[in-house]
Amino acid sequence: MIYLNLFIQFFHIGLFSFGGGYATLPFLYHIAENQQWYTVKQLTDMIAISSITPGPVGVNVATFAGFMTSGILGSLVATTSVILPSYILVIIISKFLEQFETNKNVRAAIYALKPAGCGLLAAVAVDMFVNNVNLPGMILLAILFFISVKQKHDPLFYLAVSAIVGLFAGFLHLTV
Amino acid sequence: MDKSFYTIFKTFFKVGTLLLGGGYVILPLLQAELVDKKGWIDSDGLCEYYALGQSVPGIIAANMSIFVGYKLRGQVGALAAVLGIVTPAFLAIILVATMLEEIVHLSFIQSIFWGVGIGVILLVYLATKEMWNKSIVDKFTCIVFFAAFILSTCFHVSPALIIVLSILAGILYKKYNFDENFVKKECEK
Repeated sequence: MIYLNLFIQFFHIGLFSFGGGYATLPFLYHIAENQQWYTVKQLTDMIAISSITPGPVGVNVATFAGFMTSGILGSLVATTSVILPSYILVIIISKFLEQFETNKNVRAAIYALKPAGCGLLAAVAVDMFVNNVNLPGMILLAILFFISVKQKHDPLFYLAVSAIVGLFAGFLHLTV
Repeated sequence: MDKSFYTIFKTFFKVGTLLLGGGYVILPLLQAELVDKKGWIDSDGLCEYYALGQSVPGIIAANMSIFVGYKLRGQVGALAAVLGIVTPAFLAIILVATMLEEIVHLSFIQSIFWGVGIGVILLVYLATKEMWNKSIVDKFTCIVFFAAFILSTCFHVSPALIIVLSILAGILYKKYNFDENFVKKECEK
């Protein structure tokens, strides 16, 4: 049953991803590799689109992945199940706010899971780079990287630049 | 002050619509809507929810909305807030995904996606860098980072298992290596 499977996958993303929208990527990446719902290439497209559409990136990308898997009903299931753990946990925590904030084990857990989440995301970045980038792509990435080091820009800026470069690269047949 | 389901929903719907290109802008947006315009909570409260929102799993914007909604009107408020923040994102993606099916095979769209795919790698790198700055504070966190990285790239261990292992490692490490200043420092942040 695809919807039950979607529910389980996205509920566990909601339960185990810490640190914002991009923290869900390692999980979605894992799904792409282990289930035949969408490819890694499609996931990259989804992330790009999610970064330029309204709303939290994590919600966008969950809706998108659900849609790719089984249409509108799939996106409804995916979005609801990625939010559900947050909803339950936040309401419980709201009731015990003080204990939660000062609890030694909670602090220790957060202290350790943040770098783990960061390591997972770094793994995604490396994997995307190794598997998807040809020589012109590397040049584009190097230019973008150089711009980002010089000055901090909005994510939209990088996507706009890379979209325009992509369009020209396509005319010159550099994209394959 | 009017705190009906509809008003809370509408307020968060507006924030959800304006939220673009990553979660960095949620704090100023909520500040403008909830603190300055509606006066529902104060600035300090909002910052506290921002910090808390990051300590709970899931999407930070959703976590914050549920915290604030719950504070305003209990379960009803929490539901209104989360529906408000999620709905614009949901509708936007359904719209784009439906259109995309029609045009994705066109070659110039493929070219744009090729370029944008490169841009995404940079965005993932920038997100990693930002997380690194916030989370790698000492030798232990550095080891956790590389352990998670290696388990994921070389051994394809599931991300959920890596998170669970890191939580256990953190609790054990702090139990036998507890430093009183840690809690104090964390609280001051």
